[in-house]
Amino acid sequence: MLLGDDEDFDPHLLDEDAFVGEVQTFEFWFGAVEGYLTGRPYGRSAATPEIELDDIRQDRLITTLCNYCVGETAALEGASGLVRLAPNHHAKVFMATQVVDEARHLEVFLRRLGDLGVTDTDAEIRKRANPALLDFKDSLLALVDGGEWDAAVFAQNVILESMEFTVFRSHAENADPITAEVLHGVISDERRHFGFGENDLGRRMAADPSRRPRLQEVKEQLDAIVLSVFEGALDDLEVPMADRPRLGQEYLETVERLGLT
Amino acid sequence: MADFLSQYSIQRWLEMCPQGYLEDTVYGRGIDETEAEIIFENESMLDAAIQATVQLVVGERCALAASSGLVNAAPDYPSKHFLATQTLDEARHVEIFTQRLYDLGVKKDDLEDLISDRVNPHLVKFAEVLLEKVEAGDFIAGVVGQNIVLEGMAFSVFEMMEAGNRQINPKFAHTLRGTIADERRHVGFGENRIGSLIQQHPEKRPEIERMQEEMTFHMLATFSLAFSETPTDTVQTDGEPVDAEWHGTNLATATPEEMEAVLADTVLGEFKTRLGRIGLEYQTPKIPA
Repeated sequence: MLLGDDEDFDPHLLDEDAFVGEVQTFEFWFGAVEGYLTGRPYGRSAATPEIELDDIRQDRLITTLCNYCVGETAALEGASGLVRLAPNHHAKVFMATQVVDEARHLEVFLRRLGDLGVTDTDAEIRKRANPALLDFKDSLLALVDGGEWDAAVFAQNVILESMEFTVFRSHAENADPITAEVLHGVISDERRHFGFGENDLGRRMAADPSRRPRLQEVKEQLDAIVLSVFEGALDDLEVPMADRPRLGQEYLETVERLGLT
Repeated sequence: MADFLSQYSIQRWLEMCPQGYLEDTVYGRGIDETEAEIIFENESMLDAAIQATVQLVVGERCALAASSGLVNAAPDYPSKHFLATQTLDEARHVEIFTQRLYDLGVKKDDLEDLISDRVNPHLVKFAEVLLEKVEAGDFIAGVVGQNIVLEGMAFSVFEMMEAGNRQINPKFAHTLRGTIADERRHVGFGENRIGSLIQQHPEKRPEIERMQEEMTFHMLATFSLAFSETPTDTVQTDGEPVDAEWHGTNLATATPEEMEAVLADTVLGEFKTRLGRIGLEYQTPKIPA
């Protein structure tokens, strides 16, 4: 792959159409992921040490990873459904790259669960899944099934991806070395995904402001669920109460930039 | 099943495809490779190249819709992972064949109108039969239609085009070799994954065989119309003899009828073999196309 290899290249300097034509391509995707995935099978390098976790910490990690799998399954099914709804060729290609990213996240988290001794991952995920996250998944897939591109991109690429970005970053700061390395690769993908969501929705709302009320409505419908998901994830990670408002800031700022507060 | 599905992980796909045979390529070809000059010197040859590439874009758009639509219907994580990689493979194919249209001089603003004007109507029908199964969330029928019938057809069409372009248009032949490698993986998954599911659901056989019959009808009609309208997208010369042998036919000198016959025979032969492997019997279309 050669496009995007030039370290000085900044697609943000391109005009809008050229920007979309550059970044929403297979070539750009591969140029982006190549740097942090090459030499890291399943998201980690062979040299990264496995440290022994005590029983309580290991059990919390399994719960956290099970919920990451729920979130990534929602994102995989959401993104694959959105390929069909994408309003143009470039958006379809971007969503196809997101499909493979989400599937990779699911794969690396399932593999990490295997490292931790979980043999029946399906059963473990069912047992430990946060009900609020399952509700969020149902809501997201209902928007996809309803053919609502704007609302589904908002739920998936803005809300879900921002939540994941925040939680993964917080987790990576204190995780064991292998989990932290896996999370760093995932975080790099999430940044690209919510960048797409904000850019696509921002342009569509600027072109047609009548789209905004529906997104506002979706946000209000999902607010309580989002709060519960955040609380559950941060509880599992034992994040102090005092730090939580700061962690939610990323999501709030994105929503504010879209004019949806 | 678990062992064979482990061969279709995202990690293995990354190593084989983007980090493997696509390494050092741009839009599926070498960075310095360009379309053969001879195409631009001959109006009918350029027209044939555009006509054929439009059909490739439409076929790949159908494959993209089908593979992404099947992710949610997949019954297990490994199948979801594989279909995710197939989704991106198909998106890449859409992208590289669209790029070929631009390389042939099509303007971006004219793309959709060109596709609407030039798409083979039988190919649209072929796609509709498949996408109906995908829309219904029918995983078994969807995978047979997509990974055995559509991909099997694409595999042979790409092989024939690659053979016809290898010597005279290496850039396009290079692009096609990458897609052939992808299609081989897709067909392999279809055969390996679906055989056991059909054994578990024998009641699905008649419906799937009907779908195969209908898709085959439209496929043969696609070939018939394509070869009657245009000489195919293989670069032909009047001077130097060209080595473009495929399944016993020299594509550089064959008539359109001979090309249609060798393509149809090859695709149908492959269908029979692959359907037999997954426990289905090939159904000959009732009305000859």
